[in-house]
This record gives sequence, C-alpha cells and structure tokens, in this order.
Amino acid sequence: MVKKFLFFLIVLLLVVNVLGTQNPFQGTKDETYYMVTFLSGISFWKACFSGFEAAADMLGVTAVYTGHPTFDINGEVTVFNQVAAKNPAGIAVTAVNPDAFVKPINEAVNNGIPVVTFDSDSPSSKRYSFIGVGNKNAGAAAAHFVAEVLNGKGEVALLYSIGQGNVEQRVQGFLETIESSYPDIKVVAKVNDGGDQLTATKNMSATLQAHPEIDMIFCVDGVAGVGGAQAVKETNNVGKVKILAFDVDPAVISYVKSGIIEGTVVQGMSAMGFWSMMTLYLLHHNLVPEAYIPSFIDSGVIIATKENIDEILDSQGLTPMGLPKKK
Amino acid sequence: MQKIAEKKQNVEKTVDNRKIKLSKFKREFFLVLTIIIVGVILSLLTPYFLTKGNLSALLIGLSAEGFVAIGIVMVMITGEIDLSVGGIMALSSVVAGSLILSGKNVWVSVLLGFILGSIMGVINGWLIGYRKINSFIITLAMMGMTRGVAYILTQGSPLAIGGVPQSFESLGGGNLFGLPTFTVVFILLASISGFGLKKIKAFREFYFVGSSENSAKLTGLDVPKIKMRAFVLSASLASLAGIFTLSRFLVATPNTGNGIELRAIAAAVIGGTSFTGGEGSILGAALGVLIVNLLNNALILLNISVYWQNFVNGLLLLSVVLIDNLTQKKSD
Repeated sequence: MVKKFLFFLIVLLLVVNVLGTQNPFQGTKDETYYMVTFLSGISFWKACFSGFEAAADMLGVTAVYTGHPTFDINGEVTVFNQVAAKNPAGIAVTAVNPDAFVKPINEAVNNGIPVVTFDSDSPSSKRYSFIGVGNKNAGAAAAHFVAEVLNGKGEVALLYSIGQGNVEQRVQGFLETIESSYPDIKVVAKVNDGGDQLTATKNMSATLQAHPEIDMIFCVDGVAGVGGAQAVKETNNVGKVKILAFDVDPAVISYVKSGIIEGTVVQGMSAMGFWSMMTLYLLHHNLVPEAYIPSFIDSGVIIATKENIDEILDSQGLTPMGLPKKK
Repeated sequence: MQKIAEKKQNVEKTVDNRKIKLSKFKREFFLVLTIIIVGVILSLLTPYFLTKGNLSALLIGLSAEGFVAIGIVMVMITGEIDLSVGGIMALSSVVAGSLILSGKNVWVSVLLGFILGSIMGVINGWLIGYRKINSFIITLAMMGMTRGVAYILTQGSPLAIGGVPQSFESLGGGNLFGLPTFTVVFILLASISGFGLKKIKAFREFYFVGSSENSAKLTGLDVPKIKMRAFVLSASLASLAGIFTLSRFLVATPNTGNGIELRAIAAAVIGGTSFTGGEGSILGAALGVLIVNLLNNALILLNISVYWQNFVNGLLLLSVVLIDNLTQKKSD
C-alpha cells in the first residue's frame, strides 16, 4: 500500500514538474513584434516579412507588418515612433535614412524596446543588431559565378546606380575578388543605370556598341537587371553577351527562365525577417546577454539560375512569378 | 449700365460672403467635433493613443505639413494655387545643408537657404501676378525646377550634416512647454496668420482679390502686388518647413516634401478653403491637417494595413466636399 502510494506521489511530482517547466521558446499571442519599412508596397519587404512571420508562428507570438508607402523620411519616422509608442515586444526596421533614424531608434531602445535593423542599417544608432546582406560578400559570390560562366577568361561590364552606398560595396567586393582570383577577367566598363530602367537600357546599349568585346554584364541592382537585359536584346547580343542580375524583379525572373539572363543574385530576404524576429525574441525574453547578440548577421545570398529559381523563390515566400505568396 | 450690374454683383457677393462666413464657422465646429469624437473612440479602443510618445509623434509628424498648409490657404484665398511648395521645401533644405557641409556658419547657411526658397515665391508671384500666367502651370513648372535643382545639388544622395550647434538642432528636434518646438512654431505661425487674415489689411486684401479680381481692381487694389505677397508668404513658409525638417533629421534629401503640396491643399479644402478663391481659414486648414494625420495615426494604432491611408484620406476629402455641395444646394 505504502509502495503504491509513494510511486503515485513520484509520478505526480514528475508530471507537475514537467507541466510547470515552461519552454523558453514559446511566447504568447499578446506579444506583438512589428516590422517597419519604407516603400511598404514592394514585394521585397513582403518576402522579408514572410520569414519574420514564419519565426513568429514558430515562437507563438504575433507579427505585424507596417510602414510608409514612399521614400519620405518623415513618413517612415512617424510610423516608427507611433509603433514604438505602443510599447511593442520588439521592432525590426529598415531605415530609409541612417542618420534620421538615430534619434527615433535610440528613444525606443531607451524606453526598453528591443530594436534591430535589417536590409538598410542605422549604424550610429543603438540598434542591437543589423541583419542584412554582406554586400561585399555578395559581390564576391557574383565574381565567382561570372568567372565560372566565362571559364575564367573574358571582358566584363558593370551596370549599377553609381554612388549608392550598398551597391558600391557590392562592386567593391566583386572587383577585389576578380583582381585576386581571376587575373584573366577584365572589367572594361562601369555604366550608370541612373536608378531607372530607361536610363539603364540607354546607357548599356551605348556601352555595348562602344565595346563589342564585352562577354558578360554584371547588373549590380534590381533596376540594372531589367535594363541590362533589354539592352542586350535591342543590340542583338542575346547569347553573345551573358548577364548576371540582382534581386528578383518579375521581369528578371522571366529573363532567367527564358535564358537571356544566366543567373541572378537573390538576397536572403526571408532570412532577414526570420533572424530579425529571432533576435528580437531573444532580447525581449532576456534569453541571451546583450553582449552576445551579434552586431551583424549576414543573411546571405544565393545565385539563382534557370534550374533552381522556382525553388529559391519558394523559399523566400514568393510565387514562381516573383509575387508574394497569398497566405 | 455695366457699373450697376457690377455693383449688384458686389452686393450679392457680400451676402454670399456672410453666408460663407456662417458655414465656415460651422465647418470648423464640425471638424473640432469630429476630432474630439475620433480621439475619444481611439482612447477607448487603445491605451496607447493618449500617451506622450504617441501624441508627440503625431504632432511633430504633422508640423511641416502645417507650415505649408498656412501658405497654401493664403494663395488659395486669392484664387490661385501653389504646387511648388514641396520642391521649395527640398531646395531650401538642400541648399542650407550643402552650405553647412562646405563649412559655412550654420545660421548663415540656413538664412541663405530660406532666402533662396522665398525668392522662388517672388518668381511665382511675378509670373502669375504680373505676367498673368496660369498659376497651376507656373507652379507645376517651378515644382519641377526646384526639386530638380535639389537633385542636381545632391546627385540624388542625402546630405548628412553633423556637428551643428545644439541651438540649431533644438529647432526641429527640441521641445518647448512640453510640446515639440516644431509644433509650437506651427501653432504660433497659424495664430499670427489667422489673426492677420481677420484684422490686418495686407492679409484681408487676399479675400477681396479672390472674391472678385475685377472689383478689387476697380476699388484701387494693386492685384498683382497682393498676389505676389501671397506667393512669397507661401514660399517662405515652405522654405521654413524645409529648414525645420533639416534641423529635425540633420539630413537634407532631395525628395523631402514629396507630395506635400497635395496633402496641404486637401487639408486646406477640408478646413473650408474654397478652390475658386475668396474664402479660406487658417484654423480650418490646421484642423484639416490634424484630422488627416489623426486618421493615419488611428490606422497604425489599430494595426490596420497602411495601404488604407490613401483611401481614407481621399474618402475624407470627398466626404467634406460632398457635404459642402449638398448643403449649398439646400441654400439655393
């Protein structure tokens, strides 16, 4: 009798203990994390949010997407400040301007709200981490791909928004890798895409006429990809001049599938969102000492080609056409 | 015969103006009531509306728009329109920023940026008031040119200014009497302009010109000069908005104030300013700016998708205009 009773007591104690232990990686639905962006309509952020939301679902918390539809600094800062006033569990923000966001982020952090930046950083602010593409690494990955396509030898042109910070870093990474690893590849032209497709096409077409020896173009940003492909088509160079593009504009995707573009560098958009949420959660729940939160998390890039582009798009929460998947 | 007909028109206009004054008062009352109702509903739906952080963000966010709306009201009262305010805002902020970066004294740079922006108002005023060219077209062209120069000067990139004195930073970024300084200055400017439009001849003349340019001319008013005055004030206020924005963010970007002209015009119309001239209220426009930004704040507080912003703003404007239209039909 006593033995049975003791056994029952032990089992009861174990059950209570297990029930009582909470899994630190399960939050509650009233814990709300926000993603704040500029240009809130573009599919790039939707891909980022798909990762943010996936992490939220895993952790059992709530994720909300918000932002301002244009590039207006006041617009995005106002949204950020009003979100911060709601005392959320955490905010992941992509800063339309790094300096303008220093005060707003610092105020939020001083009020005890964990803040991380993704894609576009505000390095002078008190954000706990920046999750984004290591632009130099992306440039290096691009260089290896170009070298592979050209078998280590050839003439290359670059098409990009000259002067734009993150793009210039990609170019730097590309040039450094070419110089150190591929001495038989020459960069013969650096063409400005002017931030719009028409300018990109016009300038690249002119360059192709002036440099008929170009074997491949590296289009270092989204706009360049469409413009570069258009220029190759219009100068009857399809098949003769190969293209490596950047990002997954629907037009670029269709060019990759039709073979006009060899490959495109796809940023780990979904990873940006995913690791933003994970970091915010860890901070909110004090699961990791602040000093051990990496100040930069490289969300990585993959080069998509005709063979694997659908799979890669899917992993980013996008349809084969490059549009956000409907939930 | 003509003179008698015109005199009759003037009397009718005076009667109309009295009717308009009454409906203007009703409009402001209606706006205040709406704002109070929205505020009460919001504070019931969420505990975060009435927090210092939220109200601060709301007030400072609407202040630049507020400066611009004051100027737009004055131009619209004269029967004209000013689409160049956004471009002027960018121009003044970029010029000031560039001068600061080149090592010039902050206050000198800011003054020069302000003066250049105001000169755009002189150009507007000359082309529209004296050369009598359509204001929509002229200010549309000026919008392109001023913003264009802002892009050229910055080559498209933002200019970050650092190491400026605290006194400059506190203009757009500081607090006064518990409110953002930016907002306090807006309230001050709105009060002065509102008072001016009621009591100061130089401002009241805007109404005469807007009600009937011919009558104004016949009574001996210098119509082109009055219009010039309105456009210079509008440009100066837009330049000031640019300077304060530079102070607030410590960054001058060429796309500053993009679209602000349409938002300010919408706020002015919501506040009772007539598109055809002769009628307008600074208080109304200020309430208009507040209500639009309040509704945007509601969308964020209630986690409603930000894509509803444009729709809500458009719907608000439409509702107000429809109410106007329907109540006018009644009095006919």
